[in-house]
Amino acid sequence: MISMYLDIWQLLGGLIHWLLVDIIGAFVGWLGFHGLEAWLGSPGVLNFVTILIVALIVFVVGMLVSITLIWQERKTLGRLMDRRGTQVGPIGLFQNFADALKVLVKEHIVPEAADSLVYNLAPVVIIGTSLMMFVTLPYSPGFYVSNPQLGLLLTLALFGIVPFAVLLGGWASNNKYTLIGGMRAAAQIIAYEVPLLLSVVGVVILTGSLNFFEIVQWQQDNVWLIAPMIIGAFTFVISMVAELERVPFDLPEAEAELVEGWGTEYGGMRFGLIMMSEYARGFVGSSIITLVFLGGWDMPDFLNVIPVGLWFLLKVFMVFGIIIWVRGALPRVRTDQILNLGWKRLLPLAAINIAIAIVFKTAGVF
Amino acid sequence: MARKEKSRREKEFGLTAYILKPMLVTAKQTLKSTINRPNTVQYPWEKLVLPDVFRGRPGLIFEKCIGCGICMRICPNRCIELVEVDDLKHEEGKPPKKVKRPRVNVGRCMMCGFCAEYCPTDAMIVTPEYELAAYTREEMIYDPYKLQFPGVPGNEVHIEEILPSELNKGVAPRRHVEHVDLPVVDDKKCISCSRCAKDCPVGAVKMVEVGVNEKGRPIKRPVFDKEKCVSCETCVEVCPKDALTMQEVQ
Repeated sequence: MISMYLDIWQLLGGLIHWLLVDIIGAFVGWLGFHGLEAWLGSPGVLNFVTILIVALIVFVVGMLVSITLIWQERKTLGRLMDRRGTQVGPIGLFQNFADALKVLVKEHIVPEAADSLVYNLAPVVIIGTSLMMFVTLPYSPGFYVSNPQLGLLLTLALFGIVPFAVLLGGWASNNKYTLIGGMRAAAQIIAYEVPLLLSVVGVVILTGSLNFFEIVQWQQDNVWLIAPMIIGAFTFVISMVAELERVPFDLPEAEAELVEGWGTEYGGMRFGLIMMSEYARGFVGSSIITLVFLGGWDMPDFLNVIPVGLWFLLKVFMVFGIIIWVRGALPRVRTDQILNLGWKRLLPLAAINIAIAIVFKTAGVF
Repeated sequence: MARKEKSRREKEFGLTAYILKPMLVTAKQTLKSTINRPNTVQYPWEKLVLPDVFRGRPGLIFEKCIGCGICMRICPNRCIELVEVDDLKHEEGKPPKKVKRPRVNVGRCMMCGFCAEYCPTDAMIVTPEYELAAYTREEMIYDPYKLQFPGVPGNEVHIEEILPSELNKGVAPRRHVEHVDLPVVDDKKCISCSRCAKDCPVGAVKMVEVGVNEKGRPIKRPVFDKEKCVSCETCVEVCPKDALTMQEVQ
């Protein structure tokens, strides 16, 4: 299978080199603009165009996967509640596009009491950081944008920016619901950052790396990390659900108490994009769980016909399915319960997880 | 007794009740609705299977109706009116006879089926039709011809009644226990006009001469046939001098 091991950078770099040097460059040179030909063939231009196209492709793929996650959530929740879910188009696939079109043509309203600069800035930060997290995620050995040495840390750090913007947006909307929602979001996410990061420490101790490729390589060589780090995986999934502000930890946008939480005053395409970015974060969170604990694109040998990228996405959908299942099953927790759970249960569990990792490492099991 | 203070343990999460059990229940539900089908009925394309006793809009069997107006009087929403229409059956060459038949405003009808229950001749029936939406309010008024419906035996609903005193005597429930009320005439008010006899839908009123007045004209008084009377109160309504009242038969 060629597509399994194709590197997107090599493929697109080669294509763009061929296009800019051999086709357009040759044509421009034939016309007599030799300076332009040399400029088009320079490594800076080639790299820039390649980066742009790769970023575009990864961005589009990420958005499409996020849309598919919304569809998956609607259908699965439907089955959980004994109904059918969305039905527009074949198996309901077109509903999200119809919704996007609807919010796109809506008027953009800034509330009179709002601080319009911060009000307009907050969604930019939320959506920007959410989409930025696509950059560090490798889908397969050949499909990625960047490969930073500290990819895991970078992604989790980007996760940490969002509550800041949420608090800003909630404050700037000048509405009691948005303010309470923003405060809750900040309190909750700050509380759950700690167990989230601590439960990853065990992984880092075992694999000795913060790079996604090396973590996955370690899992391919040894064993999927969910087996030794089951407590850590448990803690990580719960913290991730809290980080994504999803049921049962959806206090920041508790529909029953705060109209739509911190997003109450955002309408039109802003609402659409915030919604979209929530699912983009859901995709990134599920991807981190997959990469760190479920072996990433590692698959049994007999399944080799499936492209690794697709296999990775299948795992992501499975992880997100579990999150949807949790959403369908559990009631929303109170503020004191959520903080109790975070500080008194998950933090000790994460510490125990680190201890287990140290024991494994010192005993030389892996 | 003072309420027991909740212990710290009870205030926090119960692992079984709050987490494990709901997860199990939803997993079962998902499996069930995935293997079978969800509860949703996709309405315009598939419809619920109606039970035999479904009460939709009222229907009329034109030939059976005697135009007594019981349906009109029993209707809780007052959506039934008696109108004069041409009879369906008439001899060749002659203009059709005018008969009284009910006209129903189904926009106001609440599908209770009382008209069918109380109809003495089972001409009113309940139909399984329930999709009655229309573009104008005029379309919602079903005249006697539009109201017709080829009834099947299940569509006639009637009340089977039994008196409390008969409960332990093995008497089978029967119809029209209470349809035995009879009109009574007040002799002082009656002016012998015979309207009651003309308008009685079942011909249960006969005028009987009881004497001669001072001008030599016969004095007539209505006599009611207990077997034929359906207690429809038409005579009470048409009486110009309010000489007739319904009397309950004890």
